[in-house]
Amino acid sequence: MKTITIDPITRLEGHGKINIFLNEHGDVENAYLQIPELRGFEKFSEGRRAEDMPQITSRICGVCPVAHHFAATKALDAAFHVDPPVTAKKLRELLYCGYLIYDHILHFYFLGGPDFVVGPEAPAAKRNILGVIEKTGVDVAKDVIKHRAYGQRITAILGGKATHPVCGLPGGVSKGLSKDEVKEIKDMVASCNIFAKFTLNLFDDIVLKNKAYVDLIRSDPYTLKTYNMGLVDKHNKVNFYDGLIRVTDQEGSQLEKFEGKEYTNHIAERVEEWSYMKYPYLKSIGWQGLTDGKKSGIYRVGPLGRLNASDGMATPQAEKEYKRMFDTLGGKPVNSTLAFHWARLIELLYATERAKELIEDADITSVHIRNPVGTPGEGIGVVEAARGTLIHHYHLDKNGLIMKANMIVATTNNAGAITMSVRNAAKGVIKKGQVTDGLLNKIEMAFRAYDPCFGCATHTLPGGLPMTVKIYDHQKKLYRTFSQP
Amino acid sequence: MKTIVLGVGNPILQDDGVGLHVIDALRPRIDNPMVTIETASTGGMNLLDMIRGYEKVILIDAVKQHDSEPGEVKRFLLSDFHMVHSSNPHDVSLSEALQLAEQLGEKHLPSKIILIGITVNSTYEFGEHLSSKVASAVPTAVALVLEELKNT
Repeated sequence: MKTITIDPITRLEGHGKINIFLNEHGDVENAYLQIPELRGFEKFSEGRRAEDMPQITSRICGVCPVAHHFAATKALDAAFHVDPPVTAKKLRELLYCGYLIYDHILHFYFLGGPDFVVGPEAPAAKRNILGVIEKTGVDVAKDVIKHRAYGQRITAILGGKATHPVCGLPGGVSKGLSKDEVKEIKDMVASCNIFAKFTLNLFDDIVLKNKAYVDLIRSDPYTLKTYNMGLVDKHNKVNFYDGLIRVTDQEGSQLEKFEGKEYTNHIAERVEEWSYMKYPYLKSIGWQGLTDGKKSGIYRVGPLGRLNASDGMATPQAEKEYKRMFDTLGGKPVNSTLAFHWARLIELLYATERAKELIEDADITSVHIRNPVGTPGEGIGVVEAARGTLIHHYHLDKNGLIMKANMIVATTNNAGAITMSVRNAAKGVIKKGQVTDGLLNKIEMAFRAYDPCFGCATHTLPGGLPMTVKIYDHQKKLYRTFSQP
Repeated sequence: MKTIVLGVGNPILQDDGVGLHVIDALRPRIDNPMVTIETASTGGMNLLDMIRGYEKVILIDAVKQHDSEPGEVKRFLLSDFHMVHSSNPHDVSLSEALQLAEQLGEKHLPSKIILIGITVNSTYEFGEHLSSKVASAVPTAVALVLEELKNT
């Protein structure tokens, strides 16, 4: 059979490249995931009509279009000095629940879950959705497909278009809900709730009842004691669409809580010359290099970051699961990177419960879905993307054109933590120049837990992503290369 | 044969969006009720949803090859691409999505998937315009798709 080698292009290209540097004893000194950064967003945005930003930014990433769409829409609300009607906010949040449902399902069953369901030691070729089907059976897989599609369908009904919504406008949304659509969404949400509970049970049976997995989750290479960050409501419960940004410390106490528009007072970005990446950190703590602990300003976002940074979930079933996770893993905060997978499923359950509340809300069919905009100015919008806190920041001129735009995406917020997790996983498998089995798997598990996404090209070919790990000796000479197709 | 011509790419990442430019050029030249023309800026599972129900799929997409200059146009079959595991950070490949659908016993899957690939260099910069080399490949890609449709 003819095999054609084609690299995934643009930003994804460097995604799978990991460089590991050894010291003179042959132990890991440093390691990082190489991620080229997309350039020129600011220049690209300049002079554009501000109301086009929700459509434009939703193209940045094939995975988080909904998150970018609403971070942009919320930034425009602020920039045009308009507060959307209550129904518009609820419609946006309901759409957001649909996005979380399909995104979290995709990650657990297709991407992160196979490491557990099929097993971390299984060959790479088996650790995918097909391997999951082999283990759980065709019926489960059919349910996975069905409920992922329900999440997509909910976003399509509310967003006006599948995958890339077009509904968000400054001051509201362009489309309300009909009675038929309400009925359809209600039925889908009820089914998704049952499936979310099923998935948590599956996680229990396969992961939590297996001591080896629990030991792996709690093991040192997968532990990181950073600060945690996420949006919370007024009761400090997790919220994806709105709220204040809360940061908690290594003991679980609140360090700070601030409005999204204050982000530049709290978050700074460090540029390291050896990497393309910017590493955000907490200004109040400061930059100490890529290290964890109380003195280092590095923080984590995403499912585990959010659960750690909050006091609970705002819905009853998810709240119960939240407590169970912290009880099982030794209290708050949980610093085990692999617990991201569990946290993600608790959020999936929350999204189905919250969607039920919203679709049953009497306001949801109101036709008052947009308020008139005021004069343009500066605006900042913050949402929780599936993979963490996402910030959009625009300056508009008096004609409503973009003068300046800035973004901090979720994976950038996690950049420091991801780099450290990769390094720690590498330390666990490389000792005195000897590389033990499972190097690639174990490193991949470390960064996959974060469900990283770097804004991307969307082409299909070849689809999968080759991962290459290069190990350099203390003289920076290439020592060994590992790769999997 | 019920056919979909699907241009794939990111419209704001310069040459990555070449598949969408090819579709723009194709639209006025195709008038066949059996042929659907669509664009997508998304990956495996969503693409699967879009091609379900068609017998033949013609995908147009940017590709990067070690031994190619930007602006070459090549015809592939999906089977030319060997399967890799799901190491893509956030989506599955179309091949994988199709394998999954087959395993689940889905009917209505396309019997023929052809890829028209336009080679590009990586771009890390936002922009809506194609580089000159890649732009000059668009007519060739259009001709290849029209040729492909003759057999439909």
